Amino acid sequence: MADKTMPIFVPSEKPAKVIKWKVKQGAFVSQGQILFLYNDSSGSNSDLKKYKAARAGTISTIKVKEGDIAEPGTAVAELEACQHPTVMKEMCAECGADLRTDEGTKRDVAVVPMVHSVPELKVSEELAQKLGREDAERLLKDKKLVLLVDLDQTLVHTTNDNVAPNLKGVLHFFLRSPGCPGRWCHTRLRPRTKEFLEGAAKNYELHVCTFGARQYAHAVSDLLDPEKKFFSHRILSRDECFDPRTKAANLKALFPCGDNMVCIIDDREDVWRHATNLIHVRPYSFFQSTGDINAPPSLPEEKSKVIAGKNGSQLAAALNQMPILDVEPEKEVEKKKSDSDDEVVKDKPNEDKLKSDNPEAEQKKSTVGDSDKSEGQNVLENVCNEPKWVETADGQIEVEDPDDYLIYLEDILKRIHKHFYDLYEQTGGKQIPDLKTIIPEVKSKVLSGTSLVFSGLVPTHQRLETSRAYQVARSLGARVTQDYTEGSTHLVAVRAGTAKVNASRRMGEGKNKVHVVTPEWLWTCAERWERVDERLYPLQRQTQSSSRRPPAHCSSPPPAPAPPAPTPALRRRTPSGRFMDTLNPLLSFSSDDIADMDREVEDIFNESDESSSDESKPKEDDLDDEENPPEDRLISVENDDTCSQDRLQELNEASSDSELEDNRPRKRARPSSPPSDDEPPDDDDSSWTLMGAALERGFLAD
Amino acid sequence: MFYHLSLEHEILLHPRYFGPQLLDTVKQKLYTEVEGTCTGKYGFVIAVTTIDNIGAGLIQPGQGFVVYPVKYKAIVFRPFKGEVLDAIVTQVNKVGMFAQIGPLSCFISHHSIPADMEFCPNVNPPCYKSKQEDNVIQEEDVIRLKIVGTRVDASGIFAIGTLMDDYLGLVTQ
Repeated sequence: MADKTMPIFVPSEKPAKVIKWKVKQGAFVSQGQILFLYNDSSGSNSDLKKYKAARAGTISTIKVKEGDIAEPGTAVAELEACQHPTVMKEMCAECGADLRTDEGTKRDVAVVPMVHSVPELKVSEELAQKLGREDAERLLKDKKLVLLVDLDQTLVHTTNDNVAPNLKGVLHFFLRSPGCPGRWCHTRLRPRTKEFLEGAAKNYELHVCTFGARQYAHAVSDLLDPEKKFFSHRILSRDECFDPRTKAANLKALFPCGDNMVCIIDDREDVWRHATNLIHVRPYSFFQSTGDINAPPSLPEEKSKVIAGKNGSQLAAALNQMPILDVEPEKEVEKKKSDSDDEVVKDKPNEDKLKSDNPEAEQKKSTVGDSDKSEGQNVLENVCNEPKWVETADGQIEVEDPDDYLIYLEDILKRIHKHFYDLYEQTGGKQIPDLKTIIPEVKSKVLSGTSLVFSGLVPTHQRLETSRAYQVARSLGARVTQDYTEGSTHLVAVRAGTAKVNASRRMGEGKNKVHVVTPEWLWTCAERWERVDERLYPLQRQTQSSSRRPPAHCSSPPPAPAPPAPTPALRRRTPSGRFMDTLNPLLSFSSDDIADMDREVEDIFNESDESSSDESKPKEDDLDDEENPPEDRLISVENDDTCSQDRLQELNEASSDSELEDNRPRKRARPSSPPSDDEPPDDDDSSWTLMGAALERGFLAD
Repeated sequence: MFYHLSLEHEILLHPRYFGPQLLDTVKQKLYTEVEGTCTGKYGFVIAVTTIDNIGAGLIQPGQGFVVYPVKYKAIVFRPFKGEVLDAIVTQVNKVGMFAQIGPLSCFISHHSIPADMEFCPNVNPPCYKSKQEDNVIQEEDVIRLKIVGTRVDASGIFAIGTLMDDYLGLVTQ
């Protein structure tokens, strides 16, 4: 930058003799540092004068040698002003100049926040590139890759609800933050997390990348990694995210030389804009009533709670609920969201009860009503995914957690790493492969060589190519055909007795025998990135009955079964994507559910007699909601067990009673919206009272 | 640099404390409200040494709260440009390192760390190491640094430091 270079002129009117240079060419000088000693040629030799730098910078050239005499008006040296390549809190970290007052340097050079946890520290594009290159070289030398790790629902599950204090394996910590009273967090690490991190750290440099607040992110990282050997300071939290909705924006800053060595594990695709270097993790859920407490669109959830609480109007809640559903029509609906919907739905009956003339009866109804409503889903969820709670002798509640996903994830990561460095060595280390192409490549090896035929999986009116199942299978490298062909190897059938299933029986035995499997097989393959033994997922005659209820994972958020699909997720018309449901969604409801809905409709009619029409509206929304979200509330089952479906139903019935008692208190414990009519008027007196109270508390604390 | 200064502060007191312990409460409250805070002008208030004068309390009309003007002496810490200080390293990364001088945080850019010291990210904890490996700076180490700039906000002070001068760097005890 030529304009930044300024010559240092001879400091006197007369020719000056440079006696000694105190700095070397290329040296960095700070303001006021002595550059050289000189004397005026006229004066005596003993009269040495010092020349001090007027400003900080680098001596780019020295034009006059020691002992030479320079005429006035000629340049002795050139000083290149500091470019401020590293800036901390708008202060140059190299020369200490304050860039806030410095008018001349309005144009900031340093724009890239390269350090995860300190967004104020920025470096220039150039320096970032240099550091990025160094990082990449180091990684290549150590045969490592970068792994961005999400926390919530990937490695841990955290709730703010009250939980039993003696749960085994649940860690508790208190977050204090200025301005608000702080909160307790209860965190459960996913089974095998420690082993997973240990294993992954061998091949990967681990970075935390979470939407939790900074404090939370650091607290959880401390739990995961008390010695700071996995993550060190590489923790990126919500506070450092450029964009509250996506984490992808930060990639460029963290990895200025491109993200081709970056692999991501996250339970949400959308926050990474469906990047292909993302491994979509099956969300980990331990505390039933809580979703992801730090999910990006959690705002609407909290807001709706607050608003509903404030004016007690159901309309507000309903209005608020709509944006939740509409805000991201593109986005795959996630379990989290359904949870938030659940929340809102649940709050309303409570309010109804407060308002209705006949509170007793109403309460009964609504209690039965909404517990049953969610029961259907919850029970299913419990059976498949919820751990069993067993109290041991020492008063600790031992929890059996069947989640073993991290074993598979570790394996996936190992394969990716191996593939990357195999390719890197093939090219002789000249070209750095790109994980964005390698990860889909590794994935497409899973089912390569197989050819699938679907039966009952894709609705007839939908084109095969646009179906979810098709995309999942394709991303795994399988060929999918509409009908049997020469090379068909697998039939993925929802139920026995379809034409294709019958055809498969007639097909040849022996070598080209077609495996008839349930869709679970496909989902499990997609989840584990490995070809699961087909014998574990045989299609049975009696599965017909149990598949009336959408098997949990078909209808589970596509995330689990369908990691990076080649095209951004398309919304299916029905939750399960099954033909049956496209005809009549009610078929997938149990008689209990339907009875429930009837009851609810009756409630609406009864109520609208007394209350305004406004109030009945949200109720209708309720109904809508109840029909739609099954897709989301269900979580994928992962049963190696073949008779799982039957067992599932048994458990279902058995546990529904205990579930009722079990569930209610916990759900109620959530801050249900208080009647707010008696909110204190907002005048001076009361605010002073509040202040006084705060003061008192302060003193009592002392 | 540390100073012993006379300062003033106003204490707002709830009427419930009006009683024989009133002045004790005022003093107590002064300590909690003042110690540990930071003002741009005076720097960090480290400790109140003496309370010189508690003025006449003024009851706020309409509320009953009382305001006491308090004059006190306190030790304050105000960092200056050019000052040399001992600090404890808190974080080391590829861009530089962060250090803590009591309540004051300070950043030292990689550029201001002697050129022969290189960043080693692979060891745990990460550190800056000289080529002969005889000079290692890592977390928790004590270093001597010179402040080259301070950012003074209403609520805090942040400093930029350098190790590029004589006698700066790792302090060996």
